[in-house]
Amino acid sequence: MLYDLFLVLPMAIVVIGAIVLMLLRFSPWLSVINRNFITIVILGISLCIDVLHYAAAPDTFVFVDIFGHGFVVDTFATLFDMMFLGGAMLTLLINNEYFKSRNYFDGDFFALLLFGVFGMMILAHANELISAFVALEIASLSIYVLVGYNTANPKSPEAMMKYIVLGSLMGALFMLGVALVYGETGSTIIGDIYQHIASHPHTNHTLIAVGGLLMIVTILFKIGAVPFHAWVIDVYHGAPLPVAMVMASTFKIALFAITLRIYLIDFEPVYAVWSQSLQIITALTLIGGSFLALIQDNIKRMLAGSSIVHAGYMMIALCSIGAGDKLAASAIMFYLISYFLSSVGAFGILSFLTAKEHKHLTFEDFRGFGFRHPYLAVMMTIFMLSLAGFPSTIGFMGKFYIFVSAIESGHVYIALLGVFVAFVSIFYYFRLIAMMYFNKDEGKEQEFAFDTSTTLIFLMALLTVTGGIGMGLIPYLPSADGFMDIAREAIGSLVR
Amino acid sequence: MNMILTLIIFIPILGALLGSLVRASIPLLRLLAIVTSLFVLGLSWILAWYFDPHAGMQFVHIAPWIQNYGITYYVGVDALSLVLLLMITLIMPLLYLYMWREKRHGYWYNMMALQTGVLGAVLSLDLILFYLFWETMLLPVFIMIGRYGNTDNQYNAMRIVVMTIFGSMAMLFSMLYMGYLFFQSHGFWSFSYNDIASLSLDPRTSIVVAAGFLLAFAIKIPLPLFHTWMAPAYGSSPTPAVVILSSIMAKLGIYGIWRFGFGLFESTLEYYVTPLIVFALIGVIFYAIHAIMEPNLRRMFAYSSGSHLSLILLGLMLENVYTWNGSLYLVATHALASAGILIMIGMIYRRVRSITIDDLGGIAQVAPRFAFFFSFFALSIAGLPGTGGFVAELLIIIGAFKYSMIVGVFAALTMIAAITFVFWMLQRTLFGAPSTVTAGFQDLGRIDLLILTPLALLLLLTGLAPSLFTQLFEPALLEMLQAIGRYR
Repeated sequence: MLYDLFLVLPMAIVVIGAIVLMLLRFSPWLSVINRNFITIVILGISLCIDVLHYAAAPDTFVFVDIFGHGFVVDTFATLFDMMFLGGAMLTLLINNEYFKSRNYFDGDFFALLLFGVFGMMILAHANELISAFVALEIASLSIYVLVGYNTANPKSPEAMMKYIVLGSLMGALFMLGVALVYGETGSTIIGDIYQHIASHPHTNHTLIAVGGLLMIVTILFKIGAVPFHAWVIDVYHGAPLPVAMVMASTFKIALFAITLRIYLIDFEPVYAVWSQSLQIITALTLIGGSFLALIQDNIKRMLAGSSIVHAGYMMIALCSIGAGDKLAASAIMFYLISYFLSSVGAFGILSFLTAKEHKHLTFEDFRGFGFRHPYLAVMMTIFMLSLAGFPSTIGFMGKFYIFVSAIESGHVYIALLGVFVAFVSIFYYFRLIAMMYFNKDEGKEQEFAFDTSTTLIFLMALLTVTGGIGMGLIPYLPSADGFMDIAREAIGSLVR
Repeated sequence: MNMILTLIIFIPILGALLGSLVRASIPLLRLLAIVTSLFVLGLSWILAWYFDPHAGMQFVHIAPWIQNYGITYYVGVDALSLVLLLMITLIMPLLYLYMWREKRHGYWYNMMALQTGVLGAVLSLDLILFYLFWETMLLPVFIMIGRYGNTDNQYNAMRIVVMTIFGSMAMLFSMLYMGYLFFQSHGFWSFSYNDIASLSLDPRTSIVVAAGFLLAFAIKIPLPLFHTWMAPAYGSSPTPAVVILSSIMAKLGIYGIWRFGFGLFESTLEYYVTPLIVFALIGVIFYAIHAIMEPNLRRMFAYSSGSHLSLILLGLMLENVYTWNGSLYLVATHALASAGILIMIGMIYRRVRSITIDDLGGIAQVAPRFAFFFSFFALSIAGLPGTGGFVAELLIIIGAFKYSMIVGVFAALTMIAAITFVFWMLQRTLFGAPSTVTAGFQDLGRIDLLILTPLALLLLLTGLAPSLFTQLFEPALLEMLQAIGRYR
């Protein structure tokens, strides 16, 4: 019992911290920066305990007498926890300057963010569909509110409305899917569903297939796959930058956590049912996302559009899992890391810039950026190259693993399409690089401002490059090889 | 000794990194660039001295890189890459000398990064490593054209990047697929050149996979139909970038076909030989006609370079011992000659701010030394006897006649066409009465002479004593021809 408590301590700390921050909502002693600092400390403590857990490699159900087999602590979930916590910490640290520059970040913001992270952590640990639904809703509701946080900007509540209406509908679909699955199997616990399917090989599992499809549709909606993508660009555009960062990185990682768990264990016997439709959706996502990203003039919207494309790349590996290549899941995890590093870096530079001047950054605003901010421009270039999958950055390694997994599982045409889309993406990423360097600017070169934001952005740029070169030249820095091993181990703990 | 290649590849970019870390001033940056390039030049000569022409791949250095997929850091040098290595390391210091008065920091950094990119591409023997260098060398070119070029440079920079990356993406896909096939047959991953070369593919797969590689190289060379980026990019590049495009990067396309086309797909290439010969013959004539009509000097030599690269490709595809020797020899000598002429065109631009032929004229009267060197390089491009280009072109044409009468006649047309546009161009730029633009044309200074003399001397030496150089690579080429069963 006590050990169980220790195992759930990271989540407990986060949710208690959230409640405390919420109670301190009107405290006159706490400025935004203090609240930010407290949030980071809470996340940091939680992360430390998670590292301890990860080292001990636990693999148990906790509070079996209360939750049954609904709540699991294993290497897979712990690794994802670490990714959420680290991601949220990085996001908050990078946005330190941004929080100072805006007046709408009050106490609730940080409490909500912690609730969101809590939901994501539960999502990674949930071994039961209803818990997964509840966790997904905790995370989503926090994000909905966060998206509409800047009430002064009419775009922001509009984005929230768009997101919340569609999102709740999709949540209902998920619930319906769970009900259908329960209707056939009589259980919502992931392992039991698997057992049921495996022990009835001669029925055609219509309810499970339909129910599973509804659940997958929900997840596809949340990651922004193409027939369900209509909200993505407007929501990213309307959301405050820190929230857009969380959505693009941490929240997306969380969604893949639950996807992998359900998909890898639960529905293994009925992959064949969805395999075709998933491939078609993947192709649509890749193509549609590219079109959306190509036509944008605003950097934030371009990054939102490209986030659809990146979801598409990860779905390529999801298709490979469907074709039986379970290690492709580690390709997704690697890709998540690489995408996290480069997109949070890129968003971080945007937030650093908009902290100084209140405007929406378009491509035109980057004219001559390479001269005003030479160092930031180099980092932005690195992030753009990584997003484009240019070799010698971590983005290339991520794409390499994804494409190899697709070829390995026989989806040569999807891999070909992925390569082609990567080629198209060169255009919109290089457009920004061209804007930064090709035009002489009258503005004077500005000093490189050393603060938490820029230091962290620099670190992430460094990681992007070392992860791509992956030499392991510098000990203790994650290289491509090392992280891939970790990801494989985590997937191995899931698939037994 | 096995670190020497690694040093050659990475010293330039380390110089650039060092410069950026200390925020070097221009004189320091200039010093860094010249010292690193001279050091690399010295290393490559040491390499050539110890190089054994009969020994295949040498100075090999293998280190694990990404072990999950068997990707290694694998570099080595054989006769083929040695020729390109010597050529690149020789041209780079001269380009830095040309850039002596350059005041823009980015220029120097990009050139140093570019040197690492091209050297790495020539020396790497792991497919993924090759792809890394092949792609990264594009980035400095992109920035240099877009940032420091002229006339529509931003559009043209985007165009060269998008078109060449299209090719490299096709190549990447082929590489991944071959890596997977290797995994399928051997049970472990490897992307190293030797392993992939040992793979026996069924003809259908192999044709498709080879197409990916050939597309990348065809765009880089470029063959006609894939050439639309070439003249605009050359026209709007700054001089150092255009020298690298014409003398080095275009040659890397040839190198790629030689190394990967013949190395990995020796039997499959049979299917591509006839179409490629046709492409090359069309290229020879098509580019030559374009060159004759072109009023802009830089674009003229872009087309002339296209014409000669088509000839080199023709020699490569005819697969006999004369043409292979000729092609490799032409790779080196044409690089020297075109570096010379393009640098001199850059000098014209510096002096009179124009490189349109109609604006020029009568330079010989005001600047005799300039006229001498200019006509020397132009004529050596046209294949003046006594320069290396003549020997090489002669070898290719002899080989072409051996292959078939018609091909021979077409190949010989390059020389005639080249002579046509070179002489006409010389007549209009150098002779006649000086125009208003060229009236105060300054003759070559000391630094200019320092740049051009080595190139000219080397061109003469290659022309007068070809056996001095051919012995470096002839045995290896014979061996390669035997390996693909083409030694007659």
